[in-house]
Amino acid sequence: MSESYSVVNPCHMCMPMGSVLAFRGIADCMPLFHGSQGCATYMRLYLAHHFREPVDIASSALSEKGAVYGGAANLKKGLKNLMTGYSPKAIGVATTCLAETIGDDVAQIIREFRQEEPSARDLPIIHVSTPSYSGSHEEGYAKTLQAIVQALAVRGPPGDRINLILGSVISPADVRYLKELLQDWGCDGIVVPDISETFDGPRSERFSRIPEGGTPLADVVDMARSREILTLGGRFQTPSAGGYLEEAFGVPHRALPLPIGLDNTDLFIGEVERLTGLGLPRKYDLERGRLLDTVVDVHKYLAEVRAAVFGDTEIALGVTKLLCEVGAIPAIVATGSNSSDFVEAVKVISPRSRVLNGVDFSDIHAEIKKVGVDVLVGSSNGRQISKKEKIPLVRVGLPNSDRVGVGRQLILGYEGAGRLLDALTNVLLDVGSIY
Amino acid sequence: MSVIQIFEGREGHIQRKDGTDGASALSCSNESLAGAVSQRACVYSGARVVLNPLADALHLVHGPIGCAAYTWDIRGASSSGPDLYRTSFSTDMKELDVVFGGEKKLFRALRELVAQYHPPAVFVYSTCIVGVIGDDLRAVCKTATQELGIPVIPVRSEGFKGNKNEGYKAACQALMDLMEVGEPSDSEPGPRSVNLLGEYNVAGDLWRVKPLLEEMGLEVVAAFTGDGRVRELQRAPKARLNLVQCSGSMTHLAKMMEEKYGIPYRRISFFGLSDISQAMRTAAKFFGLEAKAEEIILRETTRVKPAIEGHRSRLEGKKAAIYMGGAAKAVSLVRGFEELGMEVVIIGTQTGDRDDYKKISCIVKDGTVIIDDANPLELRELLIKQKADLLVAGVKERFLSYKLGIAFCDFNHDRTTSFEGFDGMVTFAREVDLSINSPVWKLPVERPSPAAWSVDARSKQNVSSGEAGANV
Repeated sequence: MSESYSVVNPCHMCMPMGSVLAFRGIADCMPLFHGSQGCATYMRLYLAHHFREPVDIASSALSEKGAVYGGAANLKKGLKNLMTGYSPKAIGVATTCLAETIGDDVAQIIREFRQEEPSARDLPIIHVSTPSYSGSHEEGYAKTLQAIVQALAVRGPPGDRINLILGSVISPADVRYLKELLQDWGCDGIVVPDISETFDGPRSERFSRIPEGGTPLADVVDMARSREILTLGGRFQTPSAGGYLEEAFGVPHRALPLPIGLDNTDLFIGEVERLTGLGLPRKYDLERGRLLDTVVDVHKYLAEVRAAVFGDTEIALGVTKLLCEVGAIPAIVATGSNSSDFVEAVKVISPRSRVLNGVDFSDIHAEIKKVGVDVLVGSSNGRQISKKEKIPLVRVGLPNSDRVGVGRQLILGYEGAGRLLDALTNVLLDVGSIY
Repeated sequence: MSVIQIFEGREGHIQRKDGTDGASALSCSNESLAGAVSQRACVYSGARVVLNPLADALHLVHGPIGCAAYTWDIRGASSSGPDLYRTSFSTDMKELDVVFGGEKKLFRALRELVAQYHPPAVFVYSTCIVGVIGDDLRAVCKTATQELGIPVIPVRSEGFKGNKNEGYKAACQALMDLMEVGEPSDSEPGPRSVNLLGEYNVAGDLWRVKPLLEEMGLEVVAAFTGDGRVRELQRAPKARLNLVQCSGSMTHLAKMMEEKYGIPYRRISFFGLSDISQAMRTAAKFFGLEAKAEEIILRETTRVKPAIEGHRSRLEGKKAAIYMGGAAKAVSLVRGFEELGMEVVIIGTQTGDRDDYKKISCIVKDGTVIIDDANPLELRELLIKQKADLLVAGVKERFLSYKLGIAFCDFNHDRTTSFEGFDGMVTFAREVDLSINSPVWKLPVERPSPAAWSVDARSKQNVSSGEAGANV
């Protein structure tokens, strides 16, 4: 890409967005942005469009006065009101660019708040620095996961639990799938963060102020003494919560790609097998067999179909791998995040792909016009390109603001791979570009 | 005693109309309470909402990526031609820009974008950190205007410097700046020319209203800013009358235009049969076109009445809750619900001022709860307490309503259906009817226990949980 001074149609979001997606995966945790009111409202709106769920994010609602004299008073008041209104068991405080630029010492303000407010003494208040002018939502998510374990995990006698850290943002259905898989295995696992219910709540007579679900706080505390940690995704962002736990508490840690596609899922399943010493439950053997059956069913439809894949790094990488497995051509693989490791990783899987790193949708659009593709796979932000170029878009990842079913969309595991291949094939059959 | 009690300091913002003059003293127009999850956005948001529908302008956000990312093509304002406004432009400020200032980057971005997109004008929005680090937007824009030969207009929308209302004002100022540099047009607006202020053409609203006005004999010079074009807006100073719909966002502009160009203004609304009729009468009176207006009003009302009556028969007596950004829409909705035979039990706004709440208090019935700058917890309590059957609000409130088992209608800028004009009211009535009377609310939320599985018991269960739906 030539040097540019502007971003046209961004393919990434800001760090605080990532922090909410992590905080909301912890049971009874309420996120609060230290900054201007608008940040919380905009991200609530964005996430409401995506998940079709109520999304409450508090704000310290800094005004001009706060910007000049510092935001301590507002932040303390915000924390206090949040406790009154929501009775959270933990609060996640993420900074916005305003708070960072005026230079508030958030850690110190929280310490003072604890001293002044006896009821907050035992309440975990997790602080993470997430200025919007640095990194992307992917870094914000990684930083927040690290902040969560750093704040909560406590050393103890070695336990026997296996710890799954979800290093990339995946759908509620994906999280449910992983949890069920561990359960089916009879494996006592900790899954962090768990948005399977908090962002996909059932309708019920009980409608609590903070959505039910999420990783129990006690489980996060327990992470320091788990037997082993597997991080799925998140390999291109720093820091790494798993890496921290390994360093601080000596828990063995391995980072794997998201289990998208056959090979990645085999890798993940193999790890769980190694860790549990138990064989794969028959249910998943059947699923694997069905996926192999599916790839054969669709291989001629998808052979040499050219795709542009875009979105978060690990999802883009996993989808690329899956496309290669069925003989499709991931002609363009793009992400809005900045990571040279990502570029290398794509090259290993798909040497002939055009890899775009740290780009916006105008770059992706230009590349699509240059090399030509049959299908787009990525977030709903590809919809304008899809419409202009009349190329179908299979929606995967965040955001998906114009279609329903995000909570139910499974792309992980053997089952998810099969479903994604179905969706891809069907959309191409719909538009008649394959027969 | 306050109606509900959740947060200390919010008592004065929530009142029940009880026949006395209480609501006129409702607390409003102040900063949102920290930690209370206000539904309000920021100054930038206010400015962006007002200016964004200007379809051929280039809207450049000078700030970090978030401000541009979350406002990219999320609004329902339609364009009949150019779609540059649906493209998101940002200077994507990074650490270095924050430390060393972003003026150079902004200038280079302007140069590069104008060369590539050839817009007739550029709006440059400032964001929170621009306000803190002190980039001189005005100076950069001035230089860019000179070098690039098109108006490059700064929008003073630092997010933290007030609420959405300040953003409206910043946008109005930017629009004044744009009109100021307009070149003379070949065709002057005629003697019966109007501008429509606060008409954003959401879901094509404008296209239902404009033909009615044109049939009356009016010339619509420019809509601010729905389906707007830079050149059209620059002709606006020569129009004879400004019709102001969304008064919260545009009264400021109307006043400035009156002062500067001598254009009088009238407040109107195009939503609801009585309000659209009243709007047409207001314009007709100004230009002496009463007879023609009455003819159209009668014809159109007669035409749409049967359809509306059909929906009314299924909606009569149902209870509506209104939570809007601005007060003008909220007021218009009260009359709209009256036309459907529905009762308003809650009414609130994000940014209403003292006068707005006085007006609201006058038009709602005793027992109605009036709320300023609500939050999800308060809305939830009130919806349950007031036994609302329907909430009219925006996307953020939609899923709260659904989780409570309450029907919903989106009346915000995100909506995809047009509600203005005579046909718009039919669409609105239909949408409200379809949501309130949907079978989904009658499905049992709690699974019937095995003991209840005789046919009689089951039908009873359905009925009772349908009613309970609104009372969760």
